[in-house]
Amino acid sequence: MGPTIGMSVALPRAGALTDALMAPPTETVGADELRRLRDRLAGDLVTLVEELPAGEKLKLDEFRFGQAREHPDRLGADDGPFVASPAVCRRAVGSAAVARCLRRRSSSPAVAVAEVLAAGAEDAGDGGDPTVRAPWWAGWYGGLSAGGRAMVEAEAVTWATQLWTALEWERLVQPMVGGSDDWWDCPGTRSLTLKGRADVRVRTEGRPVLLVVGSGVPPFDWRAALGFPALVATLARGEKSVPARVVGLWPASGQVRILPVDIEALAETATAVMAAVATWVDARLEVKQRGRPSRPGARAEARR
Amino acid sequence: MPPSSPIAVSASTGYRPPEGTDLLHRLRGQGTTRPTVDPGLAGGLRDWLEDGLADAAAEVSPEAGPVRVSKDALTGVLTCEAHLVARRTAPRVISEEMARGSLVDALFRQWVTTGRVDDPWADAMSAVEVGGDPDGIAGFVASMADERRQVLAEEIAEHAAGIVARWPVPSPMWLPRTQERVVVPLVGGRVVMNGVVDLAFGGPAGERASVCVVELKSGRRRVEHRGDLHFYALLETLRSGAPPFRIATYYTRTGELDVEAVSEDVLVSALQRVLAGAVKLCRLAAGTEPARSPNGLCAWCSDLPRCEPGQTRAGTDVPRRAGDTVDDDDLDLVPRGLVGEGGQDG
Repeated sequence: MGPTIGMSVALPRAGALTDALMAPPTETVGADELRRLRDRLAGDLVTLVEELPAGEKLKLDEFRFGQAREHPDRLGADDGPFVASPAVCRRAVGSAAVARCLRRRSSSPAVAVAEVLAAGAEDAGDGGDPTVRAPWWAGWYGGLSAGGRAMVEAEAVTWATQLWTALEWERLVQPMVGGSDDWWDCPGTRSLTLKGRADVRVRTEGRPVLLVVGSGVPPFDWRAALGFPALVATLARGEKSVPARVVGLWPASGQVRILPVDIEALAETATAVMAAVATWVDARLEVKQRGRPSRPGARAEARR
Repeated sequence: MPPSSPIAVSASTGYRPPEGTDLLHRLRGQGTTRPTVDPGLAGGLRDWLEDGLADAAAEVSPEAGPVRVSKDALTGVLTCEAHLVARRTAPRVISEEMARGSLVDALFRQWVTTGRVDDPWADAMSAVEVGGDPDGIAGFVASMADERRQVLAEEIAEHAAGIVARWPVPSPMWLPRTQERVVVPLVGGRVVMNGVVDLAFGGPAGERASVCVVELKSGRRRVEHRGDLHFYALLETLRSGAPPFRIATYYTRTGELDVEAVSEDVLVSALQRVLAGAVKLCRLAAGTEPARSPNGLCAWCSDLPRCEPGQTRAGTDVPRRAGDTVDDDDLDLVPRGLVGEGGQDG
């Protein structure tokens, strides 16, 4: 794992965080060592998911990755139906709002959020443009009454404002807010996909840099949490897309963590991914064997 | 509880609640220079806290999880450790006051964000339901007798009317955000200070302090609210590296506004209170027997049947339930009455 870059505590913090994002790359990853890492990881993962009950597929995203590390007992529980809420959709709405501010289409996060929500509701409604795909939250939001809609808006405004005020946007090179997630289908199996996400992507000296916004405080193993989107981006997009670093921002606690991405950081994250997939496979097997998720994850806990 | 009217305060004291631009000018400290930020202050406060907490935090088993220091935990542990422990172990009981607070919070949030409140009761109920009702407020309201629910609805409507009449919708350029969660981990995360700020506005500080923090109260004015506010000032300072320039408590029932500038003295006194309380919370988490400190809450304490000092204080061993009397909004720790002059900058 490479050295951790320190960040100035000078005010305003947006200047220091922007400096940290835009600093020249300090690490490089060679094509050969990257290929070896990818081949080894894919081989190990294929072996692991072979044990999965027939027909099961795993999609490991940041949420499941964190759950496997912090609450493995919860992995065995079957997913209930997806339930939208203001907290669940604040990132999606807030990202779209910050992107509007960045393109100077809105004057402030609060204005942008209102516009994003109005456009989403219109797209999802009967009078919407049939050629435009409405965002995933729009149908749910459109069905809410005024009080519910206000909470969605309020949550998104708070989230968007925290991100908008965290950076000096005019100094960023090719900033992209949100953007497409990275998907990597593990070769040799149809049972495992890794999905990585970054909230802001910029470039420094031609290399991508990722910013990830977290909630609460940084997790104990924040290096793995920040390494995950870097690993998935690298696996999905190839050698030229290895991020120079991943910056984690936790606005609620004002905490920032910076992970320079070198081959050691990627290898450590790959090991953590292996452990997470193993834990998840264990949990699914246990559910299958018991026939009911009464004590999901017990075997995974015992292994730990 | 009969509905209260903001006008009653005005009639009895001659005090007129601030509204409109007057209210905003007070919050923004119009005419005053915003203080210069000492860039080393937040780090110094954090070091002070961590030094003071290190020994007590080390006594807590890592398996116990972090010791959480919220405004309620602080007030509770500094009032009576045994009462706090009893409250934590007793089944959670939602009172009409708690329901009112949540519903008014939601309406305030709606007003500040959208500038519209058309149907206060329907809007407030929708607001608590849309997030899955984690506090059980909607369930509690549904279980209320029709008559009580009607009274609560009338109260909510009055609070909403006061907010709409007195609060201008903040300009989006002030970057208003509502229900902003603040979490400050200390001593390696073994102690975590946390709070949720009802309203904050102003961009991040540079050379000068720039954030105003507003805490909303739907109940009666109490002296401990000032401690809550100072706690939030400290939280914001530790989180962002700069103190807020203004902190305020707004009372939705009466329209009273307590505004204070944030000085180093305010932060230091808040820190000392946090230290005193957090050390006690650590010791409780480490298994120390809770101390008993008779106080005005003894009559409502679920531990009263087992607490001699409390029985002496309350004059009974049968605890009252919240909501037993119309005065239960007044679980004051100190004699009732106005604390300072409403609406005046501190």
